[in-house]
Amino acid sequence: MATAPAPSGRTGPLGSLRVARLGGANERLLYGLIGFVLFTGIWETAANAGLFRRSLLSSPSLIWNAAVADFSSGAIWPHLSVSLSEFAIGFVVALAIGIPLGLVIGMFRRVDYFVSVLLFGIYATPKAAVAPLIILVAGIGMESKVILVFLLTFFSVVVSTMAGVHAVAERHTEIARSFGASRWLTFRSVVLPSTVPFVLTGIRIATGRALVGVVVAEELAASAGIGFYIEFFGTFLDTARVMLGVVLLGTFGIVLGELVRRIEKRFEVWRPENR
Amino acid sequence: MVDTEFALSARGVRMEYRDRSSDVSLVAIERMDLDVADGEFVSLLGPSGCGKSTFLKIVNGLLLSTAGDIRVRSLGKAREDAMVFQDAALFPWFSVLDNVAYGLVCAGVSRAEARSRAMPFIDLVGLSGFEGKYPYQLSGGMQQRANLARALTVDAAILLMDEPFASLDAQTREAMQAELLRIWSAAKKTVIFVTHQIDEAVYLSDRVIVMSARPGRVLADIRVELPRPRSLDVKRTPLFATYEEQISKLIASQHQHLGLGSQRDEA
Repeated sequence: MATAPAPSGRTGPLGSLRVARLGGANERLLYGLIGFVLFTGIWETAANAGLFRRSLLSSPSLIWNAAVADFSSGAIWPHLSVSLSEFAIGFVVALAIGIPLGLVIGMFRRVDYFVSVLLFGIYATPKAAVAPLIILVAGIGMESKVILVFLLTFFSVVVSTMAGVHAVAERHTEIARSFGASRWLTFRSVVLPSTVPFVLTGIRIATGRALVGVVVAEELAASAGIGFYIEFFGTFLDTARVMLGVVLLGTFGIVLGELVRRIEKRFEVWRPENR
Repeated sequence: MVDTEFALSARGVRMEYRDRSSDVSLVAIERMDLDVADGEFVSLLGPSGCGKSTFLKIVNGLLLSTAGDIRVRSLGKAREDAMVFQDAALFPWFSVLDNVAYGLVCAGVSRAEARSRAMPFIDLVGLSGFEGKYPYQLSGGMQQRANLARALTVDAAILLMDEPFASLDAQTREAMQAELLRIWSAAKKTVIFVTHQIDEAVYLSDRVIVMSARPGRVLADIRVELPRPRSLDVKRTPLFATYEEQISKLIASQHQHLGLGSQRDEA
């Protein structure tokens, strides 16, 4: 037993690592804020100095005024809630069907052969191309957007889940086999944990695409939603409100990305820090 | 052979692979006959590709041999055999405790009970205090301790060890060899140990089975009469050197026989 180092307690090397990471996060936030303030400051100054037409590119203060007006009057809420609902419904349904399906397809070779050509074909096709067709079929209401979000999310989740199942290491399944694990136990203890990182990557890619899907479909034909809001005020040359819509979408994208990042961290405690 | 206390008996085991691209069949093991007595420590020693790991996998049931017969007796133990795999054979997403308990969970034992039954073996291999760690937080030697503990926990008659120390540095490897002997005498197991290192085989074993290069077969079955318990100092005794020399001559004669002797040395 001369070789094993003494067991470290809870305040061992991991504790100090966590502190270091926290410092890194604070620093990131600080510099990010400085960058943001600088950017808006330059934008505002340039607009006030008349370097470009405010009616075309707006300015931070005009966007802020529009935000205050539309949030206090409540005019923007229906649009926000419509877009968020479209996104949430399409997204959740796509995950609920896509992840199990991806696992099944990945597990069974013949099912894989049967569907993968079709699946990869659809996956590679830009779904925005079929947006007009979906609107024709499902109408200009929320349904068409939900369908588009579903399609955009579903295929990337299925494809990445399948890839995850295929990437399960031979040496890991061999351990399960050697100790006589049942199929179900092998699935739970080997296939699922190895697939999680792939599924999360699929989800991360899908969030961005689905958000684009919502906006594109709403700008094409809708009666509510942030995309509609942008399109509507665009025709009136109200660029402050167009920009407000863009900022809201960006914020939503950031929040969503952060959420996925947190989930990834939560699932990957067993991974060595590779930074 | 009327040996009543053999743990493993293999007769005429043969293994052929069909190479998919060229459709040529490759003989990995030409013929293996082996008897291992209960409680014996036997090493299979040979160059890479001699089929020694393949033989272990056949015994373990991971591979099906082309021909031959293997009988393994469980001798009142819960299982016949358990494998100690080569490097990186832990699940990175499980803690040390769950990795060690895994074999029992596979056997249908509840997770809670498997964990409590795994603890004594974590102590035995010297990993107390590390049961909550993930594999990436352990050194290579400690990972192999966990790997060994997992195989011990399932209470098998025979431990099948597939070059378990091959990826360790020389010092850790020696320490682990001594550790293995300590654990072996405490756990009273039959061990079949695959290695390509002569000194490792001589130091650990009651018998060293020297195998030929592919296609594998038994070249010699050498009984190592070094007294036990063996400390690492035994490696510096004349008798130990005699065994090493005898075995390396056997292996060298193989190379000459194949016309590989001088080329190997230059390369």
